[in-house]
Amino acid sequence: MRTYAPADAATVLDSILAEPSLARGVVHHAVVPARDAIQGPMPGWLDPRIVAGLTSRGIDSLYCHQAEAIEAIHRGEDVVVVTPTASGKTLCYALPTLQAIAEDPSARALFLFPTKALGQDQVTEFSELSKAAGLTIATSTYDGDTPAPIRAAVRAAGQVVVTNPDMLHAAILPHHTKWFQLFEQLRIIVIDESHTYRGVFGGHVANVLRRLLRICAHYGSHPVIVCCSATIGNPAELAATLTGRPARLIDRAGAPAGERHVLLIDPPLLDPASGARGSAVTLAQRWALPFLRAGRQTIVFGKSRVAVELLLTGLREALREGHGPRTRVRGYRGGYLPTERRAIERGLRDGEILGVVATNALELGVDIGRLDASILAGYPGSVASTWQQFGRAGRRQGTSVAILVASAAAVDQYVIHHPAFLLEGTPEEARLDPDNLHVLLAHLRAATFELPFEPGERFGPTAADDLLAFLAEDGHVRQAGDGRWYWSSENFPASEISLRTAAQENVVIIDTTPDRPRVIGEVDLFAAQTLVHEDAIYLHESAQFHVDRLDWDERKAYVRRIDANHYTQADRAVTLKPLDVFAEDSGPGGSRRHGEVMVASLATIYKKLKFVTNENLGWGRIHLPEIELQTTAYWLTADGARDRWRRDELDVALLGAGRAIQTVASILLMVDPRDLGLVSQVRSPHAEEPTIYLYEAVPGGIGLAERLWERHGELLAAAADLIDTCTCEGGCPACTGPRLEPHVDARMLARRLLAELRSTAPAVQA
Amino acid sequence: MTVLAPDARAQLTRRLDRLRAERTDPGGPADPLPYRPVPGRDLAERLATTLAGEVVTGPGGRFVRVEGRTTRVALDRPRLAGLPGQPPADRPLVCLDTETTGLATAAGTVAFLIGLGWWEGDAFRQVQLLLPDHADEPALLDELSRHLPPDAWLVTYNGRGFDWPLLVTRYRMARRAAPAHDGHLDLLPIVRRLFRHRMENARLQTVERSLLGLERHDDVDGWEIPGRYLGFLRGGPAHPLLAVVRHNHEDVRSLARLVQLLDVGYGSAAARRFVPLGDVAGLARAFARARRPDEALACLEEILSRDGNPDHPSAVEVANEPPDTEPPWWSPRVRADFGGPPSSFPSYRHRSATFAAPWDLQRVALDRAHLLRRSRRYAESADAWQGLAAGPGRTAIVAWIELAKLREHRLRDPLGALEAADRGLEAAQRRRRLGQLDPRLEADLRGRRERLARRCDAARRSLDGKSQRR
Repeated sequence: MRTYAPADAATVLDSILAEPSLARGVVHHAVVPARDAIQGPMPGWLDPRIVAGLTSRGIDSLYCHQAEAIEAIHRGEDVVVVTPTASGKTLCYALPTLQAIAEDPSARALFLFPTKALGQDQVTEFSELSKAAGLTIATSTYDGDTPAPIRAAVRAAGQVVVTNPDMLHAAILPHHTKWFQLFEQLRIIVIDESHTYRGVFGGHVANVLRRLLRICAHYGSHPVIVCCSATIGNPAELAATLTGRPARLIDRAGAPAGERHVLLIDPPLLDPASGARGSAVTLAQRWALPFLRAGRQTIVFGKSRVAVELLLTGLREALREGHGPRTRVRGYRGGYLPTERRAIERGLRDGEILGVVATNALELGVDIGRLDASILAGYPGSVASTWQQFGRAGRRQGTSVAILVASAAAVDQYVIHHPAFLLEGTPEEARLDPDNLHVLLAHLRAATFELPFEPGERFGPTAADDLLAFLAEDGHVRQAGDGRWYWSSENFPASEISLRTAAQENVVIIDTTPDRPRVIGEVDLFAAQTLVHEDAIYLHESAQFHVDRLDWDERKAYVRRIDANHYTQADRAVTLKPLDVFAEDSGPGGSRRHGEVMVASLATIYKKLKFVTNENLGWGRIHLPEIELQTTAYWLTADGARDRWRRDELDVALLGAGRAIQTVASILLMVDPRDLGLVSQVRSPHAEEPTIYLYEAVPGGIGLAERLWERHGELLAAAADLIDTCTCEGGCPACTGPRLEPHVDARMLARRLLAELRSTAPAVQA
Repeated sequence: MTVLAPDARAQLTRRLDRLRAERTDPGGPADPLPYRPVPGRDLAERLATTLAGEVVTGPGGRFVRVEGRTTRVALDRPRLAGLPGQPPADRPLVCLDTETTGLATAAGTVAFLIGLGWWEGDAFRQVQLLLPDHADEPALLDELSRHLPPDAWLVTYNGRGFDWPLLVTRYRMARRAAPAHDGHLDLLPIVRRLFRHRMENARLQTVERSLLGLERHDDVDGWEIPGRYLGFLRGGPAHPLLAVVRHNHEDVRSLARLVQLLDVGYGSAAARRFVPLGDVAGLARAFARARRPDEALACLEEILSRDGNPDHPSAVEVANEPPDTEPPWWSPRVRADFGGPPSSFPSYRHRSATFAAPWDLQRVALDRAHLLRRSRRYAESADAWQGLAAGPGRTAIVAWIELAKLREHRLRDPLGALEAADRGLEAAQRRRRLGQLDPRLEADLRGRRERLARRCDAARRSLDGKSQRR
């Protein structure tokens, strides 16, 4: 029988690093030094009851970022507060809200959270603060779960209304006349977790906010907007795009933090030819065990539900053999009931639970206190979420440890072999395009339904008249005798928009597992081809669903909950045709463009891949019609390369360089690699030159193409670097993609092509 | 290096052109009428000419006023006021029904036709106000306010849920106050309460057919109405609105007819003797809800006194059992069916016409027993339950349980209660032998019997103890 002596995190780390089989995988070890608290003054204008309430909760002074934010909001400035995990951002907007209501009980505030669970957490926290201050403030959530009798009360008397963008869009704004008390007296709008509003969802939410501000103006209120964001590259720009107004950036973190070790770990290379590596899950488990045995609170993040289950069983098994604290390790993921989740959160806070294995359900602001070690099995997809997950470990005093175990995927490999990217570089930018034509038109319809448009009134970047005239052709909108534009259809436009997809025509995903089938999601047609074809495994909230039937004409996919050890990946055959060039720039080595393209896509086959190991288990055909997608793309042409290259080599080089650019682009822009499609053409119909296209897999695009065009130089440099630093022989999934022909050195060819594209003068053939 | 400066407006035009091309795909929204702006003055004139109305111009714009027919609808207001939920005799009544551009009461739905009707003596006068153009809405709303005196009662059909909230929304959109009124008589709930047992749905047309004996000819379906008006706004012809105006006129008139039916047919005890017993039983429930138990009891007793008298309309025709899976159409959980567009969307799923549970004398007696108990007339209630307990079926078991409760808690007769529980169990066991199980009632009776037996034993022992001490 072995017993385990408690030890602090630093000691455990030292002992692990003394063990060669584990220490070998460490590619980078950084130490982030401890940071002292920076205090700011408690504002003198704060109501004495609120100050007393804070004192009773043990808060005598504010951190500097809190003080700065509160002062700015008090002056009526929009702010965006950027703070690391658990640094007390709630106070930044709770105090001004309390103050506004203490001064004038008729004042109202609207809090927006991306999910229901977060909203409920915040209601609890805000209510405690107001109770401590001795203020009775009607704080209520208004979401899909709110019963009808309570809804009427919230509408009439809710001083702080907590809701989510979907509810605001579909239930509050179209019915604004029933909410006139709220809109007339709205003082503060809080947009928490604003970094989650990116991509298509962000574009929708930005338009919902345009509609919200329009309604406020109608009722004569001018609320302050407070955005709270995790650390991303462009928080102020994001907030400005989202709300359409400039915001004051507050990013000086005042909360103290202890010393933190950050380790980047690469699993051993098993086969240099194919690039196969050991499993990140197994390695993460080995790193977690010593911490748990030493009694250190540890959180392990897996990327899927299956990974979580594997980690959980693995850890429990290992701890049982060694008589460790087996029962004190718990799972935490999307499918759990709210009560179970609350119990786990409480257990973590009071120390009853020692270890937790989680999916990214814990990435958002749920309060679990601070732990000793955070171990990530696989790169979560962005620097920002990596730091959020790292941030779960970090006591105010003492040492904490954050570990990222990479998988064999290209993005993971790039990240751990470029530690500066993670540790020093700016985190990714969150992109959204509120002016995506599809999204803009959809919300313009909803906005016209809510209030008629004055002639010349702006909606978004320009006056809306051209767009309204376009809508009028369908008869949904008409210009009346007074020149205003009115909604003139019996449809309810808000119900036609789903905030999570770009196109209006979507496939609805219906879960047939429960007795009463329910809709669990929607995907646009383009994504449906590869996500919900028959026999696909569809992942939703980290749970797996098998697609039993896809009724393409009815746009319905019937799925059933299963537990499988594999997932599916579909291939599509894509042809691409440029329609319109928005901007172009040519240098000697090649030229870059961005613009609108037509993508014709046909889903062909799908592969079954085993979770964690990505081993191929079989394949099947997909029988679906071809669909066309109008979207935006960024493309680069290697002018004149056809004369200098052998045709077959050029083919390989274009594809290899394209893969590397695609990988790097998804890292730089913080998007899922699947959101950017890749097409390479040796002879493009547009320019008659070898061309690499990166198109956005969303109708109309979300502005990624334009951003790639702007960051062209950076992109090519990073792609070249990715290929240069790869340790494989002649191309692997981590750089130029899987090797297709064993005798061709894809790496070398892609490198040559990138060098030409980056050169200032055309390369001269030897 | 050449940078192509993008011209935003031209680019937008090109993108819209491409969208337009995409939109003409088969399956896209087909609209027969292309957009053509029509001057507001023309709209009002055309509307007035076609509908034989007059254009009225005010500070808020124009509206079209169509005079309706005046008909004789005599009411005995004091008698009407005696019914539950009806307006006091001295309040003016204004019947109101709107036609709208959609079914949602949200901000973008407009009431384009407001039908109004009021009494001048026995004469029922009607007028209809039409909106010629979106821009003229303030004028229409001002006119409506003029027709609603602050002491008036609104008379509507589902107006509490639909017409009035929609109008309030319109007033708020125009940033003005909705006119005050003294009360609102929504006829839908009272129709549901009284007549649901003999109608297949609650539409006003069904009410006309089954209660007023009227059949409409060439009537326009409700779901067609928004399209006809919107087509007109887009430059289409005005004549399709003729049928809409007629439809609305009939709707308003039927409100008056319905009020008259309530007044004449149900306003006095004498009249109630000649209507189906289900109607009176429903009225009894309406009285009970209005906390007027004596009148409710009088209604029920009148029905029970009909028994054996062949001249009176007795039990209604046997109706279908409501299905178990879905609540019946009259349940408050089901949205009223006013004839929406035929749609495959689940919330508008067609429900097969089902009848409410039929009223029969046993059910009336059951209501009476409950009511007596609620009026604290315990002895009479016990007699009523006793009568029911002698009857057949499940009702007998329920009656024994109620008797046991009454005797134990109100009549202070635990021994009697014990006996009632015993008899109830016997009845349950008889039914069990016939294969009809009532596990919940049986469990209730068993628990009750056990508790009562213990209580009686304890009482007996303490009584014995006392007598021994003596």
